[in-house]
Amino acid sequence: MKNKKIKFMPALALLLIVSIMLSACGGGKSDNAEGTAEKPVELIWYTIGTPQKDVDKVMAEVSKYTAEKIGVTIKMNMIDWGDYSQKLQVMTASGEAVDIMFTASWAFDYVQNARKGAFMQIDDLLAEYGKGIVDTLDPAFLEGSKIDGRNYGIPANKELPAQEVWRFNKQLVDKYKLDISNVYTLESLEPLLKTIKENEPDVYPLAVDKNQMPYVPYDYVIEKLPMGVSLDTTDYKIVNVLDSPEMKQMLNTMHKYYKVGYIPTEAATMDSLTDVQSTGKWFADRATSQPFADNLWSASYGYPVVSTPASEALIYNWSVMGSMQAISANSKYPEKAMEFLNLLNTDPVLRNMIDSGIEDVHYKKVSDTVMENLDESKNYDMPTFSLGNLMLTYLNPTDPDNKWEEFKKFNDAGTTAPLLGFNFDTSKVTTEIAAVQNVREEYWAPLMSGTVDPEVYLPRANEKFKAAGLDKIMEEAQLQLDEWRAANK
Amino acid sequence: MGALGRFFKDIGKNKAMLAMVLPATLWFIFFSYLPMAGMVVAFKEYRYSRDGFLASIIESKWVGLQNFKFLFSTNDAYIITRNTVLYNIFFIVLGLVIAVAMAIMLAEIANKRLAKVYQTGMFLPYFLSWVIVGYFVYSFLSMDKGVVNQIFGWFGIDPLNWYSNPTYWPIIIVVVFLWKSVGYNSVIYLAAIMGIDKSLYEAAMIDGANKWQQIRNITIPMLTPLITILTLLAIGKIFYADFGLFYQVPRDSGTLYSVTNVIDTYVYRGLKSTGEIGMSTAAGLYQSLIGFILVITSNGIVRKFNKDNALF
Repeated sequence: MKNKKIKFMPALALLLIVSIMLSACGGGKSDNAEGTAEKPVELIWYTIGTPQKDVDKVMAEVSKYTAEKIGVTIKMNMIDWGDYSQKLQVMTASGEAVDIMFTASWAFDYVQNARKGAFMQIDDLLAEYGKGIVDTLDPAFLEGSKIDGRNYGIPANKELPAQEVWRFNKQLVDKYKLDISNVYTLESLEPLLKTIKENEPDVYPLAVDKNQMPYVPYDYVIEKLPMGVSLDTTDYKIVNVLDSPEMKQMLNTMHKYYKVGYIPTEAATMDSLTDVQSTGKWFADRATSQPFADNLWSASYGYPVVSTPASEALIYNWSVMGSMQAISANSKYPEKAMEFLNLLNTDPVLRNMIDSGIEDVHYKKVSDTVMENLDESKNYDMPTFSLGNLMLTYLNPTDPDNKWEEFKKFNDAGTTAPLLGFNFDTSKVTTEIAAVQNVREEYWAPLMSGTVDPEVYLPRANEKFKAAGLDKIMEEAQLQLDEWRAANK
Repeated sequence: MGALGRFFKDIGKNKAMLAMVLPATLWFIFFSYLPMAGMVVAFKEYRYSRDGFLASIIESKWVGLQNFKFLFSTNDAYIITRNTVLYNIFFIVLGLVIAVAMAIMLAEIANKRLAKVYQTGMFLPYFLSWVIVGYFVYSFLSMDKGVVNQIFGWFGIDPLNWYSNPTYWPIIIVVVFLWKSVGYNSVIYLAAIMGIDKSLYEAAMIDGANKWQQIRNITIPMLTPLITILTLLAIGKIFYADFGLFYQVPRDSGTLYSVTNVIDTYVYRGLKSTGEIGMSTAAGLYQSLIGFILVITSNGIVRKFNKDNALF
C-alpha cells in the first residue's frame, strides 16, 4: 500500500508541472494590425454600480460609435457597490484581463493599488493620446491625483472641494418653524434637536450610523485613522486627532446628545441610514455636499431636504480622487484605452450614451442640453458621477440651466487642504497598520457615535492605538510628509 | 521495468475502484494540492505584475516572516487566540454531547413520523446563513424593539443594551452555534445508530438490560469510532473560527470585541482596507499549520489508546 503511493508521485509531479506550464503559456501576443474601424479591438471595462439589465444592449450601440471613431468596442462589466473593491482586488491579484477599471479613494483604493502595481502609469499616454482630458479637466484633479509625481488614473471632472453640510428633513423644519440659518457647529444644533425630541418621539433627532464621525478641522493622512494635520497648520506636524481639544469637545457633545436620546440608541452598530431615510423618520444628519445637492437628495428620498454648511469647502485628496478611471497594468491595448478615456471625457455623445443609454429608448432629448428619462431607463440607471466628465452630461428638466457653471464656480472657490497631493506610502508600516485598523474597528464607531463615554473610552483607545504602533506610523508619515514638502516648495 | 510494470498491473487490477476515486482525486489535485504552491505568497510582499498571476508571485520580493508579524504584534494576539481556542473547545465538547444525546433520543422515539418532524426541525437552522441568523438574534436582542427587552419591560427590569455589553456574549455565541449546528451532527450520529445490528439490542433485552444500560453498553461503544473521527477532524479546525458567527451575529459591535474577536475576524479587519494578500495568506498558513500539528498529535494520542479508532 505504502509503496504504491510513492510510485504515484512521479505522475503527480508531472501533472503539476504540465498544468503550471499550460497556465503560464496562456497569454498570447496581440496582433498589431488591430484597432481600426474595420477590425476594432475589444476593451474590457469594469466599473462600479448595481448591474443594469440593458448594459450589453447599450454597449452594442456604444461600440458601433467607438469602432467608427477610434477603432474599439466596449465590453462593460458592472460590479455592485459592496462587492466592487473585493472583486477587483482578486481580479487584479490573479491577473484577469481588464483594460479599464473604476477606482477611487473609497472603492478599490486608488493610492494603494497604484503602489501595488495594479494600474498602468499614464504620464506618456496622457501626453500623447489624452490631450482632450488635460484640456478639459481642472488642473487640480490631475495634480492632486499624482502618486510620487506620476499619474495612474483619470479623475472625473466633477465637484472638486468637499463641503460638509447639515441636512434637515424639511417637513419637520416647516412643521415646527425652526430656524436653520444659524446652525453651523454641532453645539448650535441643540435647541432644534430638543424641539424634535420633545414633539416627535418616533423620529431620530440626529441620525448617526456607524460610519459617521463628527467634523473636526483636520486633514487626515489616511481616512479614518486618527492622525492628521490641523487645517490651519503652518508647521505640518502630524498629530493624533483623538488627542486634539476639538475632537474631545466633539465627542463629549456627541455623548451628551446620546444620553439625552438625540442619537439612535444603536448608532454604533447601524450599517446605514437608508431605512431611516426612506421612511423619513429623521430630522438632521451630516453629509458631504455639492452644488444643488438638495435637489438630488429631495428627488432620491421623495420628500424635501434642505441643508446648511457645517464646514468650509476644501479640496482634499479624497475629494479629488472621489471617482477615477484607470488603465489596468496588464491591458493589452493601453493606447486604445487612453483614446477611449479621452473620448469619454470630451465627447458629449459618447458620454451621454454611456450615462443614459440609447436615445428614444432610455431617454429623450428635450433640448440641446436637457433630456428626460423614459420608462426604459429603469433598465439602464447608471451612477453618473463614476463614469467620467460630469459636466458633459445632459441636464434633467428640474436642473437649473447654470448647473455646470455653478460647479465651476464652486471648484474655483474651494481652497486646498494642507495634505492635498501628499500620498502616504504605507509599505514600511503594513504590520502596524493592520494592528491599528483592528483597534480602530473596536473603538471608532462607539466613540464617534457618542455611544460610550469619551472620558473612559478615549484614554483606553489611545493606549491601545499606541500599543498597536500608531506612533511608528505617525513618525513614518511625518518623515515622508517633510520630504514631500521639501520637494514641493 | 519491474516497478513500472507492477504499477500498471496494479492499475489494471483495480480499474473499477480507481475509476471511482478518480473524480475525488482530481478534485483534490486541482483544488487542494495545486493551490498549495501558493503558500509561497505568505513569505512575499505580493505586487501585481502585468504578466499575470504566476509572474506576480515570482517577481514579488521575499520578505521572510514579515507577513506573520501583524498576528503577534499586539496584545490582541492573546485575546484572539484565547477566544478562538476556548470557543472551539466548548463547541466541540458541547456539540458532541448534545448531538449524540439528540441522536439517541431521536432513535428511541417510537413514533417514527414525529421523529422525522423533530429531526427536520433541528436540521433546518443548519441551512440558514449567518447573516440571517444574525438578524434573528437581533430581533431578540435589539435595544428598542427586541423581544428580550420587551419581556424585561413586563417584569419591570430595565432594558439592556445587549450589543454593547460583553458579559453575556460568550453564552449567546455558544447557544447560537449549538442551535445552528446540532441538528446536522445529530443526523450523522443517527445514521450510525440506525446501522447498529438490532440483534445486539435484542440479546441485551433478553438478558434484562434496561434502556439506559443498552445505551451505555451498546449504542455509545458502537458510536465511538465515528465520534473519534469527527472530533479529530474538529480539532484540526480549532484555530479556525466561523467568521459569520463572530462577525454577523454580534453585528460587528466594537464594544464586544473582547469576547467576539477571533483570528478570522482579526485578519479580516486588519486587512480589508490594505488588501495585503501576503499577510492574509500568512494568517491562513499559520492556522493550517497549527491545525495540522494538532491533528497529528491528537491522532497519535488516540492511536496509543485504541489503534482502530485512529484516523491514520
